[in-house]
Amino acid sequence: MQITDSTIDGLRHAFKIVLPAADIEARVEARLKEIGQTMRLPGFRPGKAPLPLLKKRYGQAVMGEVLEKAVQESTAQALKEKELKPALQPEIEVDSFGEGEDLALSVAVEVIPDIAPMDFATLKLTRQRADVPQERIDEALGRIAESRQDSAPVEEDRPAAEGDIVVIDFVGKLDGEPFEGGSGEGVSLELGGGRFIPGFEEQLIGAKVGDAPVVTVTFPEDYQATHLAGREATFEVSVKELRQPTTPAVDDALAEAVGMESLEKLTEMVRGRLQEEFDELSRERLKRSLLDALAEAHDFPVPPTLLENEFKGIWSQLEEARKNDQLEPEDAAKSDEELEAEYRGIAERRVRLGLLLAEVGQKHKIQVTNEDLNRAVVREAMRYPGQEQAVFQYFQNNQDAVNHLRAPLFEDKVVDYILELAEVSEETVSVDELTADPEEAPAKPATKKKAAPKKKAPAKKKAAEVEAGEAEAGEPEGEATEAKPAKAASKKKVDDAEPAEAEAKPAAAKKKAPAKKKAVPKAADSADSGEADTSEG
Amino acid sequence: MSRKYQAVTVGPERAYDIVRAPVITEKGTLLGEFNQVVFRVPLEATKPEVKSAVEQVFGVQVTAVNTLRQKGKVKRFRGRLGRRSDTKKAIVTLAEGQSIDVTTGI
Repeated sequence: MQITDSTIDGLRHAFKIVLPAADIEARVEARLKEIGQTMRLPGFRPGKAPLPLLKKRYGQAVMGEVLEKAVQESTAQALKEKELKPALQPEIEVDSFGEGEDLALSVAVEVIPDIAPMDFATLKLTRQRADVPQERIDEALGRIAESRQDSAPVEEDRPAAEGDIVVIDFVGKLDGEPFEGGSGEGVSLELGGGRFIPGFEEQLIGAKVGDAPVVTVTFPEDYQATHLAGREATFEVSVKELRQPTTPAVDDALAEAVGMESLEKLTEMVRGRLQEEFDELSRERLKRSLLDALAEAHDFPVPPTLLENEFKGIWSQLEEARKNDQLEPEDAAKSDEELEAEYRGIAERRVRLGLLLAEVGQKHKIQVTNEDLNRAVVREAMRYPGQEQAVFQYFQNNQDAVNHLRAPLFEDKVVDYILELAEVSEETVSVDELTADPEEAPAKPATKKKAAPKKKAPAKKKAAEVEAGEAEAGEPEGEATEAKPAKAASKKKVDDAEPAEAEAKPAAAKKKAPAKKKAVPKAADSADSGEADTSEG
Repeated sequence: MSRKYQAVTVGPERAYDIVRAPVITEKGTLLGEFNQVVFRVPLEATKPEVKSAVEQVFGVQVTAVNTLRQKGKVKRFRGRLGRRSDTKKAIVTLAEGQSIDVTTGI
């Protein structure tokens, strides 16, 4: 094997390799002999077929196989000899090859730059901590109470108003004919709850017990039952009962109803949960500031292809957001060039941090053990209450998914390692300060509505650094893993706004679940659509 | 070694009829060591005919031809006896230094 014509252009190394024909010939023959041992040819016992015959039959295929292998091996060997660490798969081009000719390759590869990690002991970081304020707990308890809403019959004889619950029988008719699924008896319907098709509930407002109003509604054009979509139907309704929702008081009885021993215990649990969330958040913060510091302290050239890939990933996400009209307002105002410059910067930072973390991890032999992975799987499962089994199964049958957990774990471990070395001071801050997005100066109340459209972009920005570690060298699947931390972060945001809600309202939690990861909770998906189904009149 | 046959020449079409196929088996290829090639030939083909045919088709010198009849096996199909047809094989010895690549054109 000869290596010639080496050129170096920044991080891009290019060279040519020549493999003599005799070498390849020998490899082909060896390989033919190998397969001849098992190959069945008519007229010959396995292993007895003569070489020329084998060559005639399988020569082409074996040649292809051998060439491929020879190319791989010689490239790998060349890289080893030159002591290059490739950032991506080398680009290999076969310049010339024919029967009995030498094989000439040109190889171009981008290498990982030499990274000299800084002295982590000089890092100075602040860990922001927050204690759970009482009002947050009260709020959460209030929400639990709300979710256990009950209803009591209305004593007085008054017309139904918005917010009331009416118990009704109804028979739906299309052109005077009753249709399937259009009838119900003793159905409790919250007026203004939006559970039935639009217009239905509104027309019941003002009805009294014993009334039999006839409701005429048109099914929406995009109704899921296509034979009903867009058609007008009449419903003969009879109002059986009028109830109004009541919210139970926050007391021991409520605690027992949700499965805790006493109010004290319940409060304790809620506090624990909130504290956990805040701690998680403060860790995120610390990590973020650490990554900031690291990004500032290091400046090495980044392999352009890695950068380009990363940038394309971000950009396509952005395009997607634009298509769905979910652009951040500040982004929407910018021109394409500005955006590109901005996101290119982010991409570079991500790649650089990813390389750095990978390097540090490698240098200090940080490894993700199987136990770590198992723990991560368990944690993942805990996020879908009620479907742990399904999640476990998913991971068991899907080694890929487990491997996707590996990258963030590795990153976390490296970050932990660096944090141990760094000088970390503690600081107690208020909750608002902790939850405030440092990029958006005033702390906005993170209402659900607001959080939703913002989910992608800002969370992504914040998660940018988080993800960086995953862009591990030469790991093309990094792309796929990326979505996760971003989404996890956004989930955090939502959860933060409504802590403990997941516990109190399993339905709500389920609703969110499929968005977070489609693959796992099929059950949640169907539960979700099941809910939609009931909305027929 | 070489035997005298009554000289026979066959026409080109007949020649291709006679050389039906090479017999490519372990035994057949082993005979290559003695510069011999095995062909399947029609039952009625004679040694002189085979010699002439092989010389024409492959453009080689044949020094000897041995033939054998292989009886068809008696086979049972749906309980009834049947018999496979007999075949004739010809083992052709080539003059020194000559060869036929039987593996081409299978």
